[in-house]
Amino acid sequence: MRRIITLLWLTAALSAFAKKEVAAVQPRQLSLVRVNVTGQSFDYFRPWQKRAPFSKRALGAVLSQGRVLVTADLVADQNYVELERAETGDKMAASVEVVDYEANLALVLPQDKNFLQGLPPLEITNDTVVGDRLAALQLEQTGALVVTDGLVTGVQVTRYPTDVGQFLTYRVSIPLQYRDNSYTVPLVKNNKLAGLLLRYDPRSQLMDVIPGPIITHFLKDAAKPNYPGFPTLGFDYFPTRDPQLRKYAGETGPGAGVYVTGVEPGTSVARASLQAGDIITGIDGFDIDSNGNYIDTLYKKLEFTNLLTSRAYAGESVPFKLQRQGKPMQITVTLDHRNTADYVIPPYAHDEAPRYLVLGGLVFQELSRQYLREWGANWIKDAPQRFVYLDRFQWELFPEGHRRVVILSQVLPVNGTIGYEDFGYLTVTKVNGKEIHSLEDLAAAVKDPVDGFYKVETEEHPREIPLDAAQVRADEGALHDSYGIPILEHLK
Amino acid sequence: MRRCAFLLSILLFVAEAGAQQKSPQQPPPETTPPLSPLSPTATPVPNIVAPPAVPARPNGKIQKSLVRITATEVEPDYRAPWNSGGIQRGVGAGFVIDGNRIMTNAHVVSNSRYLTVERDGDPNKYPATVLFVAHDCDLALLKVASPDFFKNMTPLTFGGIPELESTVSAYGYPLGGERMSVTTGIVSRIDFQLYTHSSIDSHLAIQISAQINPGNSGGPVMQNAKVIGVAFQGYSGDVAQGVAYMIPTPVIHRFLTDIKDGHYDKYVDLGLSYAKLQNPAQRRYYGLPNDGRGVLVTTVIDAGSAGKVLKQGDVLLSIDNHPIASDAFVELEGERVEMPEVVERKFKGDKVKLDILRERKPQTVMITLDTVWPYLTEGHYYDVRPRYLLFGGLLFQPMSRDMMEAYQVGDLRLRYYFDNFVQDQIYLQHPEVIVLTNILPDPTNTYLGSYRASIVDEVNGRKILTLRDLANALNEATDRFVITMIGDGPPLVLDRKEVESARDRIRTRYNVNNEQNLEEQPLAAQTEARAVPPGS
Repeated sequence: MRRIITLLWLTAALSAFAKKEVAAVQPRQLSLVRVNVTGQSFDYFRPWQKRAPFSKRALGAVLSQGRVLVTADLVADQNYVELERAETGDKMAASVEVVDYEANLALVLPQDKNFLQGLPPLEITNDTVVGDRLAALQLEQTGALVVTDGLVTGVQVTRYPTDVGQFLTYRVSIPLQYRDNSYTVPLVKNNKLAGLLLRYDPRSQLMDVIPGPIITHFLKDAAKPNYPGFPTLGFDYFPTRDPQLRKYAGETGPGAGVYVTGVEPGTSVARASLQAGDIITGIDGFDIDSNGNYIDTLYKKLEFTNLLTSRAYAGESVPFKLQRQGKPMQITVTLDHRNTADYVIPPYAHDEAPRYLVLGGLVFQELSRQYLREWGANWIKDAPQRFVYLDRFQWELFPEGHRRVVILSQVLPVNGTIGYEDFGYLTVTKVNGKEIHSLEDLAAAVKDPVDGFYKVETEEHPREIPLDAAQVRADEGALHDSYGIPILEHLK
Repeated sequence: MRRCAFLLSILLFVAEAGAQQKSPQQPPPETTPPLSPLSPTATPVPNIVAPPAVPARPNGKIQKSLVRITATEVEPDYRAPWNSGGIQRGVGAGFVIDGNRIMTNAHVVSNSRYLTVERDGDPNKYPATVLFVAHDCDLALLKVASPDFFKNMTPLTFGGIPELESTVSAYGYPLGGERMSVTTGIVSRIDFQLYTHSSIDSHLAIQISAQINPGNSGGPVMQNAKVIGVAFQGYSGDVAQGVAYMIPTPVIHRFLTDIKDGHYDKYVDLGLSYAKLQNPAQRRYYGLPNDGRGVLVTTVIDAGSAGKVLKQGDVLLSIDNHPIASDAFVELEGERVEMPEVVERKFKGDKVKLDILRERKPQTVMITLDTVWPYLTEGHYYDVRPRYLLFGGLLFQPMSRDMMEAYQVGDLRLRYYFDNFVQDQIYLQHPEVIVLTNILPDPTNTYLGSYRASIVDEVNGRKILTLRDLANALNEATDRFVITMIGDGPPLVLDRKEVESARDRIRTRYNVNNEQNLEEQPLAAQTEARAVPPGS
């Protein structure tokens, strides 16, 4: 073990020497500005209220046209964003112009463009490769620059925090120190912006970086009138290393490509009639090997999904080379981005209050991953397993799409819910005999009680929960007064 | 909560196997016992110093009834099911009852291959065998071939349910010494509890404040010289202090009655879930008066006793003419007990009468009671060899609690199938859920690692419902096997010739003596022939 470490260290040192100590940064010309954010996230367990405010400090990269680039994490659920000149301490309110939570990037504009005067815009560099050195920039309290040197040890496609799609990432070995702007840390190479901090593991001193190509992609999209977002893959795949699987799929070629295990309904690939069982052997002129990699012109071997995320744009048509039951064929996929609204169980939600409906103490919500994340970092294990299962297999379980899963999340004890106190985490199927596929369905179904009752049907025990319509109305006051629920129905 | 309860035997075996029991022939010098078992008819413990001030022992000489049981167990290995498994030894307690039988806990003797019993005042160890074992209520009866063993032994008799706060004494062989230990306490609570040995059965249990520890398992808890319970489980000290449970006499009597026909038939169950009917609107909705009676049927297990008789939405009003209160309690012999207690006291084939309200109309139905088999998948198995099928290095096993725990399954789909096997009636489509649990690496299966933990749906287009189905399908004369898993993944494709050529290689490399065990088979039967009386 020790020998391996020594060897690695040697190679690292050698490659550093080979690079002839290119200075990654010349501090004087840097265009950085402090970004201070206060915000409040929504409380999905009490969807009518926001949590206590938080504040975050970060360092934004000043770009052309007075724009400031930060991570989307920083401005999620923000109430107030403020820019601060590091050298003078001058402050100016700012607004979020474009935000992409999937690529974890956002653009912030000061109210007065002159605020950034004297800061020459940073250029973006897209040519970082393994072996390059990047400098992470932070500021002392005084405004003095803190520069930490790091080595790019890998370039690969990884999952970003919202876990929607996978994006190009640099992995950088760097001993980062804690400073109060640690939320967004820019990394530069030759005085050009090479990336932004995505995550950092202080134990291994490894940092994942949102790379220049993803930033460039984001900025190009941001210049369009409606931000389109990165193309969504829309299918699941599996390597074809197993020769018996290749034979079964009828592949006749040299043995390459990925096996399509499932196509998500309503996506661009579904419209282009990609099918489960197809083998994708090439995309956009690049061959895909049996592990799902292609040879990138810059990075060499890389996961093929990069061809559809950082290299391609929504709206573009991309040729797919396929083998279908042994026959080679080609389809053209017009890429698009799938919005969170097009999911059955949306993968994330920020900046908007969760929807809910309270009916006589029964709290109804739509199942979302944002709700499941309330169980903390380990939500996959800790959240109600039925819900996690629904989320994971949503395309398999609801292939028709165009719906939500309405849940009875909890029961607030009032006179009308005596005996119902322990019910919670239930999946609602019908109310008054009507199928419930959204909170709107529910709101419509409870307009007219049947024989003075609302009958809520659930997938799980107890299956039927009758409510007395008159009692529901009588309990509304108590829900306002005792539980502080300002409105009993928030459907946006 | 359920997780925290521990079986006394678990600790017991760890501690005993690790510490004392390894070299039973060489006691440390300090503990050279005063006990001198010189003559086989030794007068009971003559040289224990008994100061005259000792108060009268309320339960008499329990030594004359108490038995120390040493069990050598072979724990099945669900990760390598062709192996016989790890050998462990543990010590528990038991006591003599009528008919020269020894009562103890099922968990003291489960999976045992060799049992010996000892008693006070006799230097010999006597081989014993299991006469009956009831894993669902954690009780067992042993017999000893040698009649000498019972010479001078006094069978104990059973009492009833002790009063709350009354004093009880627990006897056994817990940690801390070799000889019998007595602890006393009071009756703290009488309630339904999960019996962790099977981990799916709940029966009446009595909580006592007497300290019981590993080694007390199977020992009698006494009051007024009568057995009023069998010590069996408790919480470990880091969860709750001084919470110990005993199996009360109604459960013991049921066990003794069940086996009278020479066979233990297990507990019976209605096979339904129900909800309390305490909400006024709910009561009116189902057409019930405000009389505090009735519970609502929410799920009926098709394979259960009530499967073809009751429906979801029925209201149960009385059971065997005992009115059911809306909180699911009934009055039985002057005590308020939970409704299932009525069924608990019955046996396989017995009938129960239910007065119900279906769509607001009263009806009376009779239900013939039986065991609800799908529940068993969710509980622990004992005394059986794990079932499996090894094919091309791929290990297929039916889903069971033991399998899930052995692999610490994290796969979301499989966990969902396990958790909802009964409630969602998954067993109707999959009486057995056949899982690819493990892969013994070989060139033929190099690329199949990602199929681990997936559930077999079809083989060459044929639905697989049981392990036997899978074995039959993989026996077909076909060039290749296309194994479709549940979900979206690609099928697992095996070339028959390659599998066959790899067969001996895999068997040799991984020391697999047997490639399959399709049927439930009891562990090597404990034969009487093995039990040769000592000294013969």
